Amino acid sequence: MKLLNKTIRSYLVYSSIILLITIPLFYVVVRHVLLHAVDHSLKSQMREIRNNLSSIHSKQELEIWAGLDKDISLYTEPGPASDSIYTRYVTNPRHHRDEDPYREIAGTISVNGQSYKLVISSSLVENEDLLGSIMIVQAILLILLMTGILWINRRTSKKIWMPFYSLLNEMQHYDLNKNNELTLKSSRISEFNELNQVIKNLLNRNYEIYLQQKEFTENASHEMQTPLAIIQGQLELLMQTVPLTEDQAVLISELEASIQRLIRLNKSLLLLTRIENNEYAPAAAADIEEILVAQLDSFHDYLEKRKIRRIEKFEARPVAQCNIALMEILISNLVSNAIRHNITGGTLLVETGPGFVTISNTGIDKPLDAQKVFNRFYKESSDSASTGLGLAIVKRICDMYKFQLSYVFDAHMHFFTVRF
Amino acid sequence: MKILIIEDQKELLKSMVGYLESENYLCETAEDFQTARQKIEGFDYDCILLDVTLPGGNGLTLLHELKKDKKADGVIIISAKDSISDRIQGLNLGADDYLVKPFHLSELNARISAVIRRRYFDGQNLLTFNELVIDLLAKTVFVNGKPVDLTRKEYELLLYLASNKNKVVSKMAIAEHLSGDGAEIFDNFDFIYTHMKNLKKKLSLGGYRDNIRSLYAIGYKFEV
Repeated sequence: MKLLNKTIRSYLVYSSIILLITIPLFYVVVRHVLLHAVDHSLKSQMREIRNNLSSIHSKQELEIWAGLDKDISLYTEPGPASDSIYTRYVTNPRHHRDEDPYREIAGTISVNGQSYKLVISSSLVENEDLLGSIMIVQAILLILLMTGILWINRRTSKKIWMPFYSLLNEMQHYDLNKNNELTLKSSRISEFNELNQVIKNLLNRNYEIYLQQKEFTENASHEMQTPLAIIQGQLELLMQTVPLTEDQAVLISELEASIQRLIRLNKSLLLLTRIENNEYAPAAAADIEEILVAQLDSFHDYLEKRKIRRIEKFEARPVAQCNIALMEILISNLVSNAIRHNITGGTLLVETGPGFVTISNTGIDKPLDAQKVFNRFYKESSDSASTGLGLAIVKRICDMYKFQLSYVFDAHMHFFTVRF
Repeated sequence: MKILIIEDQKELLKSMVGYLESENYLCETAEDFQTARQKIEGFDYDCILLDVTLPGGNGLTLLHELKKDKKADGVIIISAKDSISDRIQGLNLGADDYLVKPFHLSELNARISAVIRRRYFDGQNLLTFNELVIDLLAKTVFVNGKPVDLTRKEYELLLYLASNKNKVVSKMAIAEHLSGDGAEIFDNFDFIYTHMKNLKKKLSLGGYRDNIRSLYAIGYKFEV
């Protein structure tokens, strides 16, 4: 969930609850107050009538008086001992379905010693209408208030969090290899400035460490080259010594194989650091098909020896913008990988199309771990000539040029595809 | 044939000298920039092996001076740097070849032979081993005057062994030489056996006494 939505959601929930509670509550309270006012007025009317009864002297006068006011009804039977107030619903003569509410007070009056029941009624229809209007106004007001608050809150939050989002954006595009300086906006909020500073320091520190590590790998590989060259040279001199027994020959050849492996490993490490140091000249248009064919030809002997069928499907003659030497390394690594992990009598399929090259091979009949296959020193086979760096180098080159590298296992074949 | 080896790593220098002297080259050595400069200025060499990183200066400076003085010494740069730009820079300055450390001594020897052959090109483009003749210019091989039809790989294999005659050349060195620079190497050297078998067969068909001896586990030796 987004940060802004999170805060606004809390507000929204709170506002809704308040709205849901206050509107019915308000209704009940206002209704009660109105009813109370009507009751009060009815009681005072009754009181006034009683006070003024002394001016009425006959039954005729009383009936005339009662007839003058349609809100007053007079009955000859005696009324309740004490005044009672109640609500009565009367069918509206015009709209038969509606029942209009009336508030009535019933009491007993006596004129010339004769008791009468007096009922004064007051229509509540106006009150109900008033209540309705008040409720509508109240609801509109509340809704306006809430939306206003939400809107203002969202706007200010957005403004407040802007440095945060810009920082987030910068961090997403940060590349340790390039160490592009973050362009962070300074904010009026000190916490954000602090955050910016902390992150800048953190990145700089990491970059320093990264540089040291890289330098270390580079120096170590460079330093190893000389002793390796010495060992190899002296092994060759040892080969020339006479007499050379078979046992010695086996030992020397095994030594040489190990030294060769070490040399290849070292070269691969150096290559990786050089790619990471951007030591390769600017990009040019690399003709994938041309490179592919040249590489396949250079592996011709190995392919033939292992009876691997080479299938080529070239289409559209794709061209990639990158350093040509690096593209050669990339293709060479993919092809040699496809040969190394192939089976005798297997298949090597190379395919090109608009913007992609796929190199696939038969091999062990189960998918490799797609998460790890491009990791350094990830090995599926025990082939001692494999450095475990070939695919890592491929990945590094692809990362550098933002090519997409993918691995898929399908129909007993391992597919490696580069999209550029 | 006189060779100057400029290299600051004593052991490496020693093994190069050891290998090349047994090839009957006259080897002189220099372990730092100043000594190297004096020797280059004072004498002429058939081939100079030049390390780039030297105590006291850059080997490429020596190469630059050498070319400025219009000296005709053949130069092979031996360097730990194997990036394309380093190679191009070295070759542009006028080096004849560029060999990346670590290298096989047999490879170094083959390259030196090639550089020296190029320098004395006049009429010397034939390598003769009794009834076997290799024409370097036409890249053809004759046995008893009759041409032998070899594939490119077989020819390269023969030339490599001939350049390192009477030396044990390891399978590994041959595989690397035949695959070319930077080529991926596999544990499987079967393809060398195939080329070797075919080469021997073709040579013996022409009536050449088999002089390529196979050494158990290690490699081959071309005996003259």
